[in-house]
Amino acid sequence: MFFKQRASEKLGDELLQGNMRKAKGKFVDGRAKAVAEFGVWEEVRAHAAKVRDRALANLDAYLVEFEANATRRGAVVHWAETAEEACAIVAGIARDNGVRKAAKSKSMVSEEVNLNEALEAAGVEVIETDLGEYILQLAHEPPSHIVAPAVHKSKEQVAELFVKAHGKPRLTEIPAMTREAREALRGHFLSADMGISGSNFVIAETGTTLTVTNEGNADMVTTLPRIHVVITGIEKVIGTLEDFATLIRLLPRSAIGQTVTNYLTLTTGPKMPDEADGPEQMHIVLVDAGRTKLLGGPMQEMLRCIRCGACMNHCPVYQNVGGHAYGWVYPGPMGSILTPVYVGLENAGDLPNAATFCGECAVACPVKIPLPDLMRKLREQQFDRKLRPWPERMAIAAWGFAATRPALYAFLSRVGARVAAWMGGSDGLIHRLPGLDGWTKGRDMPAPQGRTFRELYALRQGNRR
Amino acid sequence: MKVGLFVTCLVDLSRPGIGFAALKLLEGAGCEVVVPATQTCCGQPGYNSGGREVAKALARKVLAEFRDCDYVVAPSGSCSGQMKVATVHDLFKGEPEQADFERLAARWYELSQFLVEVLKVERVPGRFAGTVTYHDSCSGLRELGVKMQPRYLLGMAGARIAEMEGAERCCGFGGTFSIKLGDISTRMCENKCESIRAAGADAVVGGDLGCLLNIEGRLRRTGDTRTKVLHFAQVIAGEG
Amino acid sequence: MAARRGILARIRKAQGRDGEEPTAAELAAVREAIARHEVGPQPPFAHAPDRLAQFRKECDRLGTTHATVSSLAEVPAEVARYLAAGALAPAVAGWGEFAGLDWAGAGIGYRNRPADANDATGLTGCFCAIAETGTLLLLSSPAAPKLNALLPETHVCVVRAARILDTMEEAFALMRSEAGEPPRATFFVSGPSRTADIEQTIVIGAHGPYRVHAVIVP
Ligand code: SF4
Repeated sequence: MFFKQRASEKLGDELLQGNMRKAKGKFVDGRAKAVAEFGVWEEVRAHAAKVRDRALANLDAYLVEFEANATRRGAVVHWAETAEEACAIVAGIARDNGVRKAAKSKSMVSEEVNLNEALEAAGVEVIETDLGEYILQLAHEPPSHIVAPAVHKSKEQVAELFVKAHGKPRLTEIPAMTREAREALRGHFLSADMGISGSNFVIAETGTTLTVTNEGNADMVTTLPRIHVVITGIEKVIGTLEDFATLIRLLPRSAIGQTVTNYLTLTTGPKMPDEADGPEQMHIVLVDAGRTKLLGGPMQEMLRCIRCGACMNHCPVYQNVGGHAYGWVYPGPMGSILTPVYVGLENAGDLPNAATFCGECAVACPVKIPLPDLMRKLREQQFDRKLRPWPERMAIAAWGFAATRPALYAFLSRVGARVAAWMGGSDGLIHRLPGLDGWTKGRDMPAPQGRTFRELYALRQGNRR
Repeated sequence: MKVGLFVTCLVDLSRPGIGFAALKLLEGAGCEVVVPATQTCCGQPGYNSGGREVAKALARKVLAEFRDCDYVVAPSGSCSGQMKVATVHDLFKGEPEQADFERLAARWYELSQFLVEVLKVERVPGRFAGTVTYHDSCSGLRELGVKMQPRYLLGMAGARIAEMEGAERCCGFGGTFSIKLGDISTRMCENKCESIRAAGADAVVGGDLGCLLNIEGRLRRTGDTRTKVLHFAQVIAGEG
Repeated sequence: MAARRGILARIRKAQGRDGEEPTAAELAAVREAIARHEVGPQPPFAHAPDRLAQFRKECDRLGTTHATVSSLAEVPAEVARYLAAGALAPAVAGWGEFAGLDWAGAGIGYRNRPADANDATGLTGCFCAIAETGTLLLLSSPAAPKLNALLPETHVCVVRAARILDTMEEAFALMRSEAGEPPRATFFVSGPSRTADIEQTIVIGAHGPYRVHAVIVP
């Protein structure tokens, strides 16, 4: 099923629509306030784009430098070309170390490669510990937002899931639900053999991986279990701690309007011999799975993405249909670019078309990714590869043919204006237009008035002479 | 000064009155206005559908048609964005013709910007005794910075402005998007119409006919036959 | 290792560089760029004339409470006051650094050890603090376990006023000069743990502490 059908379904889902309405505005207003009081937003944004571009322009060298430093600090660096390889690597680490239970903090790359399924198939119990992800694990649903994965759920739906999972009386208040989840998850943190986290960036200078959270679950996951596995994309590498300082000024502000998250944790290597806490082994899995397809052309800019979610928060299409309509882990404008590239343009046909090009995402993106321009590039590829339905291609071809031939165009528009005016009838509104029912299903088409501007203008000039 | 009027394909076909309103405003301010008869479209529908070559062909055609004008003015932020931004920054970027399009872009103005920033008009012929609410169309707003200019001009015509909530939010038109993804487009338009109704104005006014047809189509379908839907040129030229 | 080779080669091909691996010259250029440690633009308020006031303001914003005492010796009394005010048990699991203070005199049971799941309050110091964001920076070491700041429901942190810096960049520079490299865990704490994952409603106390209290000493 394609975006168009899924989106139409979501538009008719009253429950979802109600939940989306509640979330609407919170992210956007929060970000606007944080940006307004920041003072040098555009300067930092420009610097952030530069910092990301610098590493992406020499991605191989930055990765090798990162690998050298991480290895020197005692981490084991793995490379995965595909999603399957990434899963096999993590499952292998689990098997080699007799892992029974893994506690996970939020990682979009792990969603992307379907890591949970692979681990469960290998006999490992996987527990999501980010509250939103935990809720979705109970509901057996994928996330609908990259920062707030359960934004599409109401507290009543959460209460229902908790009753089933925890076997306790139904709760009505959000703080009580949060407390109950905390208590349910505490035991898992303490008993897990493996902690799995993502890494918002990896720092070449120091061989450091890092997590950015408000809940503190990533800190449990990276501190308590005896094995820590980081799974992240190869594009996440940056040069220095100073680069991190720049990016982290933008990330929480763009995501939720917060000046800083409650926790930022840089993790460099496993624990030292006499340390009381920390994992005995640290593994870092660097995943490609399509990323190199974006390199070396105009699409490379997409790899600057820091996964803040601002583009989807500001997208009027996302606001109305929610994340699940996009069909894969990355929704909204960034997903409309990443999904077609990662899974193939022929499999995600209408995603690049799921935008009016209103431009709000490009304004909001903290690393200045020209998202509409990149979506248009994908439309060009679709056009060149003849991937759009033929009536659409015919229509564009016919329009192009006419519009470049003024006499023909004048004739056609004269006829068209008259026919459409006649169709408009006395109220000047066309209620149904064959072939354009996408418009007329929910809207009238205000009809032309019978004569074109060029006709009337010629008349006027004639009268003047 | 010789000013070329780029009428836009939608105005030509559907609302010639907007073209004549623009003509009246420009001529009234003392411009010598020319309207090349061969003009058709700026090419944006093709451009946004992935048809890069046809978009380039149409851009070249526009360039040739307005070669000898001191200025080119269009009653549309979206077509203006196509000719001022897309040509220079994408379609002809790094090509020999880039410089030609840079020169065209420097002479090209969206109507309200031309009236306020170049002609610096202080008076407009139209009078509007009532409240209007203004919808900021996306390209004009975010590509060109059209925001205060039309409001300023509407104020000159005596209109009171009742700002709607989310005036800068897309109405869901998006050219071919409105047909390809009609359900979402309609929902976005309904959100816009809710804001318009809440503002309680006599007219909703904008600067891009595509958005206006979209909004009018939804208002009428939902039974609102009272709220007028107008281009700002019609209001300030007194042709609303 | 096939994957490593494949990925590196694909990157180079896409970006128009010959060969399968970065050259020595390319790596040297990357190290050189890194060694510059270029600092980006910073918001004006990060360099506030009154740094302590800025630190307190940001602590307030994120829910870190704070108190100032006139000497290290007064810390136990302040901790006792704070715990009593919150009706919390007068016992802490703390770092060795502070074990020598007169805790018994303040009526507090001090356990000099890493915190475990049963400790209600953890006490730590910090490497430094950051005024721009009201952040406490903890560097892990055998003497500075992270658990004390993470597992208990209450975290009390002793902050030396002279170690409050303007920005994260300054903290990194200090870390390089004093510790060389980042330790295993470089832990930035800005307020108690929170979540907004249910209906975007902020709730304090997700997985980490419900309360963070900074005791500022000269
Ligand atoms: S594309 Fe930009 S706005 Fe969207 S998630 Fe990535 S960084 Fe954030």
